[in-house]
Amino acid sequence: MAADHTPSPSDGMNRRRFLTVLGVAGGGSAVLSGCSTDRIQKLVPYLIQDEDQVPGVATVYASTCTECSAGCGIHVKTREARAIKLEGNPNHPLNHGAICARGQAALQGLYNPARLTGPMARNADGSFSPVTWDDAIQRLTQHVSQAGARTAVISGAGVGTFTDLLEEWTAALGGRVVRHEPFDYEPLRAANRQVFGTDAVPAHDFGSAKYILAFGADFLETWLSPVEHQQGFAQAHGYRDGEMAKFVSLAPRMSLTGMNADEWHPIAPGSEALLALAMANVILSERSGAPADANALRGVLAPYTTERAARETGVGEETVRRLAREFASAKPSLAVAGGVAGQHRGAVEVCAAVNVLNYVAGNIGQTVRFEQQLATADGYAALDSLATAMDAGQVSLLIVHEANPVYTLPRSTGFADKMAKAGFKVSTASVLDETAAQADLILPNHHALERWDDLRPRTGVHSLMQPVMQPVFDTRATGDVLLQVAQAVGGPLAQFTASSFQAYLKDAWRGLAQARGSTDAEQFWVNALGAGGVFDSHAPATPITLAPGAGRVGYSPPEIDGDGELVFAPYPSPMLFDGRGANKPWLLENPDPVTKITWHSWVELHPETAERLNVREGEILRLSSPHGTIEAPAYIYLGMNPGVVATPLGLGHTAYGDYAEGRGVNALDLLGPPNGTGFVPYLSTRVRAETTGRYQKVAKTEGNPRQLGRGIAEAMPLELARRELSVEAAHYAETGAEHHEVNTEREVEAIAGFRESQQLKTQKGGYADEHPRWGMVIDLARCTGCSACVTACYAENNIPTVGQQEVLRGREMSWMRIERYFEGGEEPGEPLEARFVPMLCQHCGNAPCEPVCPVYASYHTPDGLNGQAYNRCVGTRYCANNCPYKVRYYNWFAYNERAFPDPLELQLNPDVTVRARGVMEKCTFCVHRIRGAQNQAKLEDRELADGDVVPACGQACPSQAIVFGDLNDPASRVSEAARNHRRYHVFEDLNVRPSVMYLAKVRHEREA
Amino acid sequence: MANPVPGVLGSFVHIDAATDAIRALKAKGYADLTVYTAAPNHEVEEAMEHPVSPVRLFTLIGGLTGCAAGFAMTFWMSNDWPILVGGKPIASIPPYVVIAFELMILLGALSTVAGMIILPLLRPTRGYMYDPRFSDDQVGIFVPCGADRAAEVQAVMTRAGSVEVRHETG
Amino acid sequence: MATVAHEHAVPTQTHAEVTRDVIATLGKPSRGYVLMFVGAVILFLIGLATFVALVKQGLGLAGYNPPVMWSVYITTFVFWVGIGHAGTLISAILYLFRSPWRTAVYRATEAMTVFAIMTAGLFPIIHIGRQWVFYWLLPYPNQRLLWPNFKSPLMWDVFAIGTYLTVSTTFLVVGLVPDIAAVRDKVSGWRKRLYGLLALGWTGSDRQWRHYSRGYLYLAALATPLVLSVHSVVSWDFAVSIVPGWHGTIFAPYFVAGAIYSGIGMVFTLLIPLRKVLKLEHMIQEHHFDNLAKLTLLTGSILAYAYAMEYFVAWYSGVSWEQTTFYLRAFGPMWWAGWTMIICNAFVSQLLWFKRIRTNVTALFIISIFINIGMWFERFVIIVSSLRNDFDPYAWGQLTPTWADWGVLAGSFGWFLMYFLLFARTFPIIAIQEIKEMIPMPRKRPGGSH
Repeated sequence: MAADHTPSPSDGMNRRRFLTVLGVAGGGSAVLSGCSTDRIQKLVPYLIQDEDQVPGVATVYASTCTECSAGCGIHVKTREARAIKLEGNPNHPLNHGAICARGQAALQGLYNPARLTGPMARNADGSFSPVTWDDAIQRLTQHVSQAGARTAVISGAGVGTFTDLLEEWTAALGGRVVRHEPFDYEPLRAANRQVFGTDAVPAHDFGSAKYILAFGADFLETWLSPVEHQQGFAQAHGYRDGEMAKFVSLAPRMSLTGMNADEWHPIAPGSEALLALAMANVILSERSGAPADANALRGVLAPYTTERAARETGVGEETVRRLAREFASAKPSLAVAGGVAGQHRGAVEVCAAVNVLNYVAGNIGQTVRFEQQLATADGYAALDSLATAMDAGQVSLLIVHEANPVYTLPRSTGFADKMAKAGFKVSTASVLDETAAQADLILPNHHALERWDDLRPRTGVHSLMQPVMQPVFDTRATGDVLLQVAQAVGGPLAQFTASSFQAYLKDAWRGLAQARGSTDAEQFWVNALGAGGVFDSHAPATPITLAPGAGRVGYSPPEIDGDGELVFAPYPSPMLFDGRGANKPWLLENPDPVTKITWHSWVELHPETAERLNVREGEILRLSSPHGTIEAPAYIYLGMNPGVVATPLGLGHTAYGDYAEGRGVNALDLLGPPNGTGFVPYLSTRVRAETTGRYQKVAKTEGNPRQLGRGIAEAMPLELARRELSVEAAHYAETGAEHHEVNTEREVEAIAGFRESQQLKTQKGGYADEHPRWGMVIDLARCTGCSACVTACYAENNIPTVGQQEVLRGREMSWMRIERYFEGGEEPGEPLEARFVPMLCQHCGNAPCEPVCPVYASYHTPDGLNGQAYNRCVGTRYCANNCPYKVRYYNWFAYNERAFPDPLELQLNPDVTVRARGVMEKCTFCVHRIRGAQNQAKLEDRELADGDVVPACGQACPSQAIVFGDLNDPASRVSEAARNHRRYHVFEDLNVRPSVMYLAKVRHEREA
Repeated sequence: MANPVPGVLGSFVHIDAATDAIRALKAKGYADLTVYTAAPNHEVEEAMEHPVSPVRLFTLIGGLTGCAAGFAMTFWMSNDWPILVGGKPIASIPPYVVIAFELMILLGALSTVAGMIILPLLRPTRGYMYDPRFSDDQVGIFVPCGADRAAEVQAVMTRAGSVEVRHETG
Repeated sequence: MATVAHEHAVPTQTHAEVTRDVIATLGKPSRGYVLMFVGAVILFLIGLATFVALVKQGLGLAGYNPPVMWSVYITTFVFWVGIGHAGTLISAILYLFRSPWRTAVYRATEAMTVFAIMTAGLFPIIHIGRQWVFYWLLPYPNQRLLWPNFKSPLMWDVFAIGTYLTVSTTFLVVGLVPDIAAVRDKVSGWRKRLYGLLALGWTGSDRQWRHYSRGYLYLAALATPLVLSVHSVVSWDFAVSIVPGWHGTIFAPYFVAGAIYSGIGMVFTLLIPLRKVLKLEHMIQEHHFDNLAKLTLLTGSILAYAYAMEYFVAWYSGVSWEQTTFYLRAFGPMWWAGWTMIICNAFVSQLLWFKRIRTNVTALFIISIFINIGMWFERFVIIVSSLRNDFDPYAWGQLTPTWADWGVLAGSFGWFLMYFLLFARTFPIIAIQEIKEMIPMPRKRPGGSH
């Protein structure tokens, strides 16, 4: 029967496709097109083997992530000339080898089924039809020469050599470039201009902070440089040697960042500035040691008393004072503000106030590093003026590059209509998104993994990007397009003589080499390619003093329009970001870390609010503001200010491919126009909420949000952790209950003796001699629940995404899942605590799943793995019933044939079987990586060293919460971690002896 | 009915008549009688004085074989392909008892049936006279004998009170 | 136990009448019969179609919702295995107890057993993910010498169910042979030839009877421990696991009692209409049902005790997940199923304390329907309401069965009834020879019977 061997998705033709890629890799010049089966003869060229392509051996290229503006370094693992996985670049100064879920999902952007297969031009009837590149470039050339200075460019590309070219190219024409990113950091920059007289956005050093205050900035999710922040946060807040930083979050909604806080205060929306100023006031009036010029602010801050703060923010007066003292006494500390979630019309005030707070606490130059300037886009103002120009018909050629303003700007800005008035519209989108849909000509750009470029995400970081494989489709790097057009147009553009963008880039890097005193530019370039770029050590801190503007800090309640009774707080989805993730199934199915909802939009409201509106979870709510209406199912969430309703951004696409189109709602539809604020005020509308009476079951992967005291996610107070108490002892210490032995001496001995004798009876065959025992320790004090490991697992192990309907039946296949449990929060005044537990196969020593399998498909390997032989599995599913951790996943349908529509199947990892219908599957501890490392060691004729084996989840984890290794080797890192006093097993009473251990979370004693 | 065996067949409505006939015939030295009844009948059994059927031996041997086979199979297979599951011994007795027990019952039952089929065949009755009424409400007694003694047998049966006596002359 | 001496324990008929009446049931089928048979076939076809869909597209068509990995199919499997037990109990155990009243009903119940097991046997195949490799569960020699895992309760099932099917089939056939011979001697034409073939040359000679009676006794003696073992093994499918709500030492006796309870329920459901259709009221009489009803009362009360015990132990153990499971079983989202099982089994059975109900055929029929429903739900509750909320709260999920579940369930009833009705038409549904064994033959000297 077909399914006896587990076939690669929809067999035959894909095998050919795969070989085609092989061929192309060798063939070099040939271009791999969509779903061609006509190049089988290209098998031949592999006789002449490409020097860096060895079949069966992975080749890794260093590159740079372009999924957000942070610019993390990545390593692209390719097999047989296909990129199959993205991992962090260990040498990169920003992310040190880690990577987030969004970054890894770039792979599904590369292989996205919705990608344009070639250039397209709009016909008279408004439809698109494919054109040749020559034709396309010829058309563009013609319009460029006509438009000249009336050319405008909207670019979302990160700052780098390409944007340099773009700037010069456009400037040469006399046109203008607007650098637009939906989540620009304009308020932050405005505040810095005001308070410090600099336009820079500084880097933030969370790692060395001992006390962190977040005024709504979701620094672990989407704010500035999340991976870098998470690493720093784990370093500061992760418990080590009796020390850990304290983190207090002040925001109307408990985001993923808020969930990681020791204290979260659901302040009134828009009141952050007042709180910050009040704290600064307390610090200035109570303590000396603030910079001299800060004292000048006493007068300014005087009106912002703790009384007023308490009255208007909802945070107790004592608490405000306490937080201020704690913040000032911990050195260095760090306060952060800004970010979309809290971006109301008073956002600049907030950032300014927080600047002052940091200044008086002496954090500037310590944890706030202006010498490292982050590259950010132009503010909304620039785009707005361009829109006005287009509206006035002053733009006859508009080029949109790596931006989708039609979707990412609130409809009320009327951008789409204004853009429509531009003369000739060109898009370089590689997927037909909302903006491209309005274009007259589409010149699909190479995906970031298919082209040459570099990025300068911040001062001193020059991060290279290189093509890691032949383009999947007939696309062309926009850099090359610009140069070709330049040569065709001549005149003002004649200066651009570079033969290709690659040449242009190398040219630029020659300059870089000279600047760094390198004599051999070629070697410099090669080294840079290998390392992923050039990274300068930090420049010395430039002294920052208060600018006159600092005297103008203040607070006025931000204006929030609309007549509704609830404040609407849209926030960027940690998975879908600004919506660019919406066509990537990995991100759609990776549950939102807070709500655990997948695949659709929802409206979060506080239980009180829900009660007042009389809605249950899943009832479809209609939110209406003067500007629009959205309908989405309700999700009832304790982590809210009762006056607020929240909806994630990123869905509700009208274009952008089958995965995205018509899925969920776009929360921006409710927002009003910015009206003169230089940025988009996201939190600026009141909405009316009413039930529609319709119901839609919420597709969440969570069964029950409470752990019912079963000790799954353990935590202990810092004091007890300092006393090195075990989890059990900490419980007794906390509850005052007294400890009593369950078994008597004799019983304990008898049990041990029995275990001995049983052990002996297992020493047969392959089990007889010495073996490693693979194990894992997960430190819950470091885990932030970011879910990067989940996507890593999907990518590494060819896990199929099952889609909304199957998730509704609880059939998601996530071998690694992040369980999120709530503690407290039910009684008024009782603080709400969230805990995260990464749950994967525990590879039990006494695995309950094994003996119940009638055909030995589930069995124990000599090196302690809980093996699963897919080909032997008949699908009785008894193992899954008997698994206490519920980490076995069953192929109810042929998911392997549904989940990877062409060309997504090219992402599959050839080292891992693609499971057929009707078999059970589960985490293997990345057994292929273990065997790979063992073989490598054998080849190099050496013992396997600790750390040679890193499973995908551990590799990706930005918090380095996951340690993997051999438990039989007492010197290994995992053994050391296993000796930690915080170590515990989940469901220890079951005596299943798991190989996965957890280190209890440590929390500061909470004061409400 | 291939080449019929010569003999006398008597039919009886009354059970005590049939048993009288059996005893009388036995007294006259006719050891080889075949008695047909529609249901097992104690009085006939007593009259015939059969020893207890050896079919139980089949049951015993079959049962023991099954039990042994069960343990042998499970242990051999576990050791032939040793796989560790759930930290339990490669071959462990308690779970295998179930298999052994079931096989004991299975083989025991099958060999019993075999006994029930084989034993009657040891003494073939092909060609013996038979009458459909014996499976209904009459008792039949067949005495294989040559023409010479037929008269005597018929006499005995009639005296005992048979409702009908027939004679088959081969 | 149920060896009740009863005034009309012995049918007041002659041997000839018995033969006539029983063989009369093999005559021309009545309209009622034909209707029932057609209905059964239709149900079967529905099930068949569903099964084909499952094989073509996957088990996902059914309402499985992890962590509920077993649901309606395994429920129905256990249900049918249970049905079988009453048959063997009546035919074998009561035979050893020499309780005369069993003779009238045991042939029908024995047949019910065989067909119930035939039905149950289908489910392990239907419910596995790759139905086409179900034979991997058998220890057959194969070129890679891969053997099955005899530690798995599912392997015990394979052997228990296999043995049970074989043994009860032989038991039925052996019992049939003399009756087939009786039929052979009454009918004519092709039927005579057919039955003659099936009678295996049975003449009812003293020698045949001698080995037959002995052998039959030993078969009964073997079937008795077998019937107890089979449902114990089935119960261990659950008890051996660690799932809260399954992991209980009480399970084996609890399941055996339940099996017999449900089995007798099915006997009522089948025989009450059947004896009407086949006009056997004078042979299968009220007092037979009365005795069966007493058995039902006994087993039903054992169940009531078992239910109580489960809750008590869960509370007494102080184990949080045990307590949660049983709390939710009564008051969780599946409370309706939980209470259906308790009411239909523990409470309804108590009505049988009243003789007026025990001897009222209509009442018994209605009660039997409750019993069938209740016992199906017992298995459904044990399986689903334990799985849906076990150790890891994050992974909890709620099951919602779909057409694919109900289709196969319906099909199983069709499959079973189809065979049962065919049997009732083709073979004596009443054991002719055993009835005759109880009716003294006429004697020329009145009295003198021993």
